[in-house]
Amino acid sequence: MDFVFGLLQIIGVHSLIGLSAYVVLLTGQITLAQAGFVAVGAYVAAMLTVLVGWPLMPALAVAALVAAFVAMTVGFPALRVKGLMLVIATLAFGEAVRLFFFNFDYQIAKGDVRVGPLGGEGFRQIRYFPENGWSTLEVMLFVWMFVALAIAVLWWIDRSRFGAVLRAVGEDELAAQASGINLTAVKVAAMTIGGGLAGLAGGLYAHYTTHIEHLSFNISLAIFAVAYPILGGTRSVFGTILAVVFVQGLLIEGLRFLGDWRNLLFGALIVLVMNVRPDGLLSLDAWRWAKKKTGAKHGAA
Amino acid sequence: MFGFVQALFDGVLFGATYALIGIGFTLVFGVMRKINMAYAASSIGGAYIGLIALSLMPQVPAIAVFALAVLAGGALGCFVYVTCFHFIPLSNPRATLMSTIGMTLLIEEVIVHATNGAPRNYPAMFDDLMLEAAGFSFRGDLLLIFALSCVSMGILLVVLYRTSLGLATRAVSQQAVAAQLCGVRVGQVNALTFVIAGLLGGLAGALIGASVGTLSPLLVLPLTVKGLIVTVIGGLGSIPGAIIAGLAVGGFENVLQQWRGVTERDLYVMLLLFAFLVFRPGGIFAPKIGRD
Repeated sequence: MDFVFGLLQIIGVHSLIGLSAYVVLLTGQITLAQAGFVAVGAYVAAMLTVLVGWPLMPALAVAALVAAFVAMTVGFPALRVKGLMLVIATLAFGEAVRLFFFNFDYQIAKGDVRVGPLGGEGFRQIRYFPENGWSTLEVMLFVWMFVALAIAVLWWIDRSRFGAVLRAVGEDELAAQASGINLTAVKVAAMTIGGGLAGLAGGLYAHYTTHIEHLSFNISLAIFAVAYPILGGTRSVFGTILAVVFVQGLLIEGLRFLGDWRNLLFGALIVLVMNVRPDGLLSLDAWRWAKKKTGAKHGAA
Repeated sequence: MFGFVQALFDGVLFGATYALIGIGFTLVFGVMRKINMAYAASSIGGAYIGLIALSLMPQVPAIAVFALAVLAGGALGCFVYVTCFHFIPLSNPRATLMSTIGMTLLIEEVIVHATNGAPRNYPAMFDDLMLEAAGFSFRGDLLLIFALSCVSMGILLVVLYRTSLGLATRAVSQQAVAAQLCGVRVGQVNALTFVIAGLLGGLAGALIGASVGTLSPLLVLPLTVKGLIVTVIGGLGSIPGAIIAGLAVGGFENVLQQWRGVTERDLYVMLLLFAFLVFRPGGIFAPKIGRD
């Protein structure tokens, strides 16, 4: 059973990471910086609980705030460019953060062991959960509490005026600007929310794996982050969640019996999905189809 | 100081391979307004195909490995076009970005499978040669890389500016719709651009293998990032920009490697990119605005 809970933890954290890219994608921007924000959140949260001895909740909150702040400061220069240039700029930022932590040493003695991040070796002994006697189930529920909260907030944003503004910028920047929307403010706001979510995901990730290193936050994670909303489609938050379950649950865990061949299939499947459904698995026509099906069952809505 | 100048020379010579990779990104961007993220992966893939084919036929000279790598790079370029671009609507930039990222992962994994994940030795040429001039020494293999890159860039420029295919490519790059109205087969030009870029990529992969001495699937992602940085610094769509930026980034990173060590080197390359994004977002040779 612990295996299932562990898998659900991974799916939960990846859902948060996917949702962080989803918010930015709503404004039409593809960002590969999310892995960097996850790294910032992970290191900040872990340093607060291990080195300073804070409880987990305030540490997570500070981690999310710091990551959101970093995202905001990065957002201003990076959003001067858009489209493919932004992809490259954010990719470079993510790599820069990873390389920063690759060179980052800050260790203090705690008892007879030295703890803290140590460059390429990473940050070991983030033992908040074991020290406080949390079971895997409790950690899993704790993670999913945040996922549910994030889904609820994003669902609500989607239905608010701000959500309409986000989508307007994503659909047509020129039209949005002509309607008096401040493009930079909207994009930086989306980037900030995304950064906060990614930081939160990082803080949770650091604590359930107990060991983080710079390689955990490489380009692959950034690609995963943006792949979820693209694969799932930006029609709704649930597209992202579905894509995370599809990728982490089905492709990565479900195909484990294929052994090494699993990774081969993974790349090929992405290519295939993009050829067959270029707007994502849950794109507009899928929603119309689903509506027609349910509409036929319950009568006209 | 002397050491830094030496490092600068070595870096600029090696930077020729970055320039080749940058040209590949820029060529495809020029005609399709799309980024082919699988480009560096197919370049390394081409070099691997040449190497594996050679290991099956031990009597072949090292130059055949290079030739085969170039051809395999071209074939892989065509394959990437068909699988990741041909059937996806042009108006959807996200889909091709994602499909080429998927292709990168696929090529990387195929390499890992074909070689059991172990790095392979790559035959070097002129690696025992050293040229001495004014107190500086130049490694023979790096000089060869630089010379071959310059020759291939020259051939590319001749193809682009002196042949009808080049004329069609530039026409599509300037105005795809107008080119189509003039009777240019846009799909064919796009596919041929991928083949040309792939040929260059295969050469770049082979040259990187020769200068590093080994080929490894771990080269793929860093090379993708470097190639993209070179493309942005040079200006998306600008071939002279990619060449100059490639050489400049090569020199810059080698000097910083000398000064700050190998682990911090790439950090400064990223900062260089950010400086460009803030102060000159269009790159060295910013393309004229309003072409689309």
